[in-house]
Amino acid sequence: MAHKKPGYHGVLLDINLTTGKSSPKKISSQDIGMFIGGRGLGMKILWDRLKKPGIDPLSPENPLMFMPGPFSGFPIPSSSRTCVVTKSPCTSSLHSSYPFASTVSYSNVGGFFGPEIRFAGYDGIVITGRASAPVYIVIDNDRVEIREAKKFWGMGTDEFDKKFIEELGDRRFRTCYIGPAGENQVSYACIIHTAARAAGRGTGCVMGSKNLKAIAVRGSMIPDVADHKQFLAALEEASQAFKGISGTLLTKIWRRSGTAVSIERSSKKGSMAVKNYREGTFSEIDKIGADAARKFWIRDFACFCCPLSCKKSGVIKNGAYAGLIHDGPEYETGTMFGANLMVSDLEGLMKAVFNGDDYGLDIISTGNVIGFLMEAYEKGIIDKEFLDGIELKWGNIDAILKMIDKIAKREGVGDLASKGVKALSKRIGKDSEKFAIHVKGLELAAWNVHVEPPKGICYATSNRGACHQSGNTVEAQNFRAMIDSIGICRFTTDWGHWYLPGLGSDNFSRILTAITGIEWTKEELMKSGERIFNLEKMINYREGFRRVDDNLPDRFFEEPLSVGSEKGAVLHREKFSEMLDEYYKIRGWDPETTKPGKSRLERLGLSFTLQDHQI
Amino acid sequence: MGNMNNYKSENPDSQMKYNRRDFIKKMAIGGSTVILFGCRSLAQPSGGKAKKTLTYSMILADYSKCTGCRTCETVCSAYNHKQMVNGEVLPGLGNPHYSNIKIYSYNPDVDIPVACAMCPDNPCIEACPVASDPKTGRKALYRDEKTLAIKNDLNRCTGCGNCVEACRDQRAGVIIPNPETNKPERMCTLCNGDPQCVKYCPYGALSFVTVSPGREFQGVPADMIAKELTKRWYSIQN
Ligand code: SF4
Ligand code: SF4
Ligand code: SF4
Repeated sequence: MAHKKPGYHGVLLDINLTTGKSSPKKISSQDIGMFIGGRGLGMKILWDRLKKPGIDPLSPENPLMFMPGPFSGFPIPSSSRTCVVTKSPCTSSLHSSYPFASTVSYSNVGGFFGPEIRFAGYDGIVITGRASAPVYIVIDNDRVEIREAKKFWGMGTDEFDKKFIEELGDRRFRTCYIGPAGENQVSYACIIHTAARAAGRGTGCVMGSKNLKAIAVRGSMIPDVADHKQFLAALEEASQAFKGISGTLLTKIWRRSGTAVSIERSSKKGSMAVKNYREGTFSEIDKIGADAARKFWIRDFACFCCPLSCKKSGVIKNGAYAGLIHDGPEYETGTMFGANLMVSDLEGLMKAVFNGDDYGLDIISTGNVIGFLMEAYEKGIIDKEFLDGIELKWGNIDAILKMIDKIAKREGVGDLASKGVKALSKRIGKDSEKFAIHVKGLELAAWNVHVEPPKGICYATSNRGACHQSGNTVEAQNFRAMIDSIGICRFTTDWGHWYLPGLGSDNFSRILTAITGIEWTKEELMKSGERIFNLEKMINYREGFRRVDDNLPDRFFEEPLSVGSEKGAVLHREKFSEMLDEYYKIRGWDPETTKPGKSRLERLGLSFTLQDHQI
Repeated sequence: MGNMNNYKSENPDSQMKYNRRDFIKKMAIGGSTVILFGCRSLAQPSGGKAKKTLTYSMILADYSKCTGCRTCETVCSAYNHKQMVNGEVLPGLGNPHYSNIKIYSYNPDVDIPVACAMCPDNPCIEACPVASDPKTGRKALYRDEKTLAIKNDLNRCTGCGNCVEACRDQRAGVIIPNPETNKPERMCTLCNGDPQCVKYCPYGALSFVTVSPGREFQGVPADMIAKELTKRWYSIQN
């Protein structure tokens, strides 16, 4: 490739499942310089490909992209992440005139898939079209094959993970796939990797709509870097920064408990999703936290070149689910199927997490949906008949397991529930939208907001609906958009108060400069984060998302916490609205419409979005 | 080489006799049976010189500590697959493809680092049909004088693949043929006595030790080790 930029192959693998054809496509150097890779480059491609608002996310036109970043494939600590970018099947707008209006979606997954895409010679994979029957894709450097997947259709992700690698005949293939939930197009289905890692929030539904069961990648390449010596020096610096902190308390906590360490902490602080977000503290939290789970944890496992190993795999030793092998609970899975459903039976909770992952469901959304149904049932808004006879009471694990089955298979009540909490409450009515806990149709995650107004801003303004990872401030959002574009894990950055003091923007800019030959400074990196966030916003704006869509469920304004150390905490509607005003002001967006201002877009190099007559 | 214990066999000839049939029999009973590696002799295999006791060193993995992060693959590759950049030889970029140590990951989670086991009876060298050089005593596959690591003389190697087969059929299968020349690659070099994988593993899962005949899983393929460890760690029967 004549125009290859250092640090990049300069090539996307474009696969059209309708025609069965694949071809390498050049990436423009300008896009690389402006959008870095990962989430950013994915968004630019999404903008270019969608061209118009209102495209059905489950139609063949919607591109499904697997986007590693320029760090991916190099031995930079924790450079394991891939962003799955697509148009969301979960979100919808209040007043848009387009029936299929939805937001962008970007789902970050760790492990080994992204680096392997780069080893195979690509900076990303873009999949469009729809296969006429179930297929899987094998990418072996420049050889791309689409094969029949009929015999795997319907298989759970755990069994499939094992069978697929056998079929491929080489353990060095890296794979990702959907489970029955994705096949059945549950709107919040996931894409699973290594049977334990997930690109959540609906990406699996889009994959299912393409009749695509799995992708396998293997490769032997890696792009060149612009300045070999400087790269080695920056790498050594990064690894020394880590050496300096390994053995410190923060590293130890990650290695010892992973995100599960937050389960007990969050409950104590009142910031946990408990009883469908009615409360922030769970009285039986000690039964499902990291210290309780430790008894069945066997080992720690890590993503590519990561010194933290935040994941724990284990086996349940006794009880009804003895012999069940799985990883977790993590903070999100443990809370959404635990505290949020008032479950204190850890073995039962692990069974639910296993089933959720095995079906390929997003456990955040699934836990949220079940919590909503439990509350509606408790309040008598729906009856047992509505629930197909399931006694869906708080803490009832058997009922929860039955509900998970129904959702994944879209049977009976599960069909409606598979569309998410917004659709459910719309159907049920009777003021149930007050406790339907979503923003723009995407369910909130395991962090409650009564005690933390900035988290409310995070959920309300996130570009993919209620995402807990978006960032509580403008600066955090820009930083995170940048991180997701480089290909590195957020847990190892120095952002915020409690992450590792390991790698900071200075390290990133030095490494990225050495890799790409583009003079990246900390400021330029932050600016591209802002650029990426604004491009996402412009896509959403074009779809018809406005200020009314940046709102939180009534529960957080009307029902103060009634238990725990933060008893009485509640959000103040006017103050929250003022916070939003302030947010739009910093963003340079119109506070009425949320439309990004012309001068801001120009400064960010996004004037091209304004030329779109549909905006 | 401060971390190398000096291992010397008191009586090399009393070491367990080893042949392929025995090995396969052991594989078959495998499972809960401890799979042992036996070596014919710790004496220098060929060359006709006087027998001399040698100390073989290797990279040993603690499977309970390995997290499957693959940092070892990248540093191994960087050190052993150097690159020419503007006329200067520099460490490579760490592409795991060129690593001499390989991590095999399984579900349920078990991660098995596999590097050359430095078998003192070197079935790979035994299998090499190239005649020993009268001066050096070396076949095309031979041991480095300093580290005793297995090396290939590209000029004399015919690319027959016998060594690849020998390692695959009798041991862990670490030798990989070059896709173009079919000549053997991926034999651990011990990084000339300063193993990078040991130095950079963030979890302290690797160590530089003396080959000890009879050590569990010595020279055993990753699939079999994984099967056994899965049983030990994840089965609730014991
Ligand atoms: S660096 Fe260490 S922990 Fe990581 S894969 Fe290699 S041996 Fe395992
Ligand atoms: S491939 Fe080369 S080193 Fe290996 S056995 Fe054949 S000739 Fe000897
Ligand atoms: S000692 Fe050196 S050559 Fe051998 S596996 Fe480790 S890093 Fe690779």
